[in-house]
Amino acid sequence: MIAMFQNSKGNETNIKLPFSFIAFSMLALILSQVLLLLNGDLLVTGTFRLPAIWSAAHLFVLGWALMVAMGAMYQLVPVAFLTPIWNEKFGFVQFFITASGIVLFAAALYVRPQDALIPGIVTLTGILLFLVQMFMTLKSQAKPNILTLFVGSALLSLLATITLGIMLVLSMNTGFASDYYQVIFKSHILLGTAGWFSLLIFGFSYKMVPMFSLAHGYTMKPAVYVFLVYFSGMISLISSFLLESRNLEMLGTFLLFAGFVIFTWHVKKIIDKRVKKKLDRPFMFALFAIGCGAVIHLAAVASSAYSMLPKMAGPIIFLYLIAWIAFSIIGYLYKIVPFLWWTHKYSKEIGKQKVPSLKEMMDEKMALPLFLLFIVGAVLLTASFAAKLLFLFYIGQGLILIAAILFSFTIAKVVIK
Amino acid sequence: MNEVKDKIRENLKTVYDPELNINVVDLGLIYDIDIPEPRTARILMTLTTPGCPLHDSIASGIKYCVQGMEEIDRAEVQLTWEPAWTPDRMTEDGKRLLQGF
Repeated sequence: MIAMFQNSKGNETNIKLPFSFIAFSMLALILSQVLLLLNGDLLVTGTFRLPAIWSAAHLFVLGWALMVAMGAMYQLVPVAFLTPIWNEKFGFVQFFITASGIVLFAAALYVRPQDALIPGIVTLTGILLFLVQMFMTLKSQAKPNILTLFVGSALLSLLATITLGIMLVLSMNTGFASDYYQVIFKSHILLGTAGWFSLLIFGFSYKMVPMFSLAHGYTMKPAVYVFLVYFSGMISLISSFLLESRNLEMLGTFLLFAGFVIFTWHVKKIIDKRVKKKLDRPFMFALFAIGCGAVIHLAAVASSAYSMLPKMAGPIIFLYLIAWIAFSIIGYLYKIVPFLWWTHKYSKEIGKQKVPSLKEMMDEKMALPLFLLFIVGAVLLTASFAAKLLFLFYIGQGLILIAAILFSFTIAKVVIK
Repeated sequence: MNEVKDKIRENLKTVYDPELNINVVDLGLIYDIDIPEPRTARILMTLTTPGCPLHDSIASGIKYCVQGMEEIDRAEVQLTWEPAWTPDRMTEDGKRLLQGF
């Protein structure tokens, strides 16, 4: 009996591994927001495809969101799938390669995008090592479930995204597949956003929503429809890029929206079955992000219906990254970081002496003002894109930058305390 | 014997689920407390969700807590998912804390 208990130990990851990723990601977040602030004049006029913006976008998406996702997965995969990380040392090697790759890659994109190939390959190597780590870890999972489908597809989309990204740099340098440059470019963005981030957040939400709300007796059946409809939307949109078909584009954006709405409705059903009546603010912020995601997906359907998608894609993707991806990650990080540190510091003390609750680990007072800053910032950014007003952009982006710095500070405080 | 069991149950009220901030007894996680031989306790427990990240911490917290009692030298903690935890297992105090009634 006691052996059985002891066998269940050892799934926890060495705390330095997830925290290396999180610390790096916070620096990348702040730097990316500074870069965006400095290039407001380009963004407001709809010029999204310029080296400085590429650099900021990759710092944000790879340096922050991907690194956070990796760090969190190093911690969450063992607990969510009840299987230890395959090789921790390998994890640290993977961290150093990926982090160096991203720094060099963002710098190359800023200075001379043509030279981004080698840094791109270093980044690719780092991400591939991560995929190997996750594949080996998930392989030992006894019984795959719907979460495995979401997380597995997200990881495959990530692989496809970086492969297409490398092809883009190659194409830029050598003219390779230049006829398909646009198709590759659009697929790269779609797979990186809807394929990698949305599917990953869907999958982990199915674990975290019931856990944070203590929901019981809910059905998981809609999850498979979420996956099928959303995935069909991605296939349809990629086909529309290839065939230049407007009908497929409309169908694709509609299916993505429909999948997202089923997911939103399903999460609401789970929340309805909760035992914990009062939900905490960081978790509510992550739920709010789902609402934002649904509206942004609707905006894509509307743009496509009015043949405005090519023009609207820039602002839509920008807001998708801020209000859906970033807000989700920020909400969940607010929960995950105290948990990581608590486990590290107090898991040996519980039962022997009084230990703090997770709520007491993180500055809860900061949560509301911080989330309001992010929300007001995002609203002002939306308005600045719609009205093409530079001063609105500066205020909105300025607020987001302040919020990002405060958020990083709040995270750092948990560890320093 | 029953006195010791009651004392263990009472002591376990000092072990809190750090996420919910409710003790494991009022949360209904303790299924059974047994004293198979003198100075040895055996606790059968569950968690609210399989794959709960606090899994190891709470189970070892219970072990430390019981082993820290002067009546007990050795505590064995067995985790079970059968039957699964349901909200009905919470005590009235637990429900009040969680649902704010």
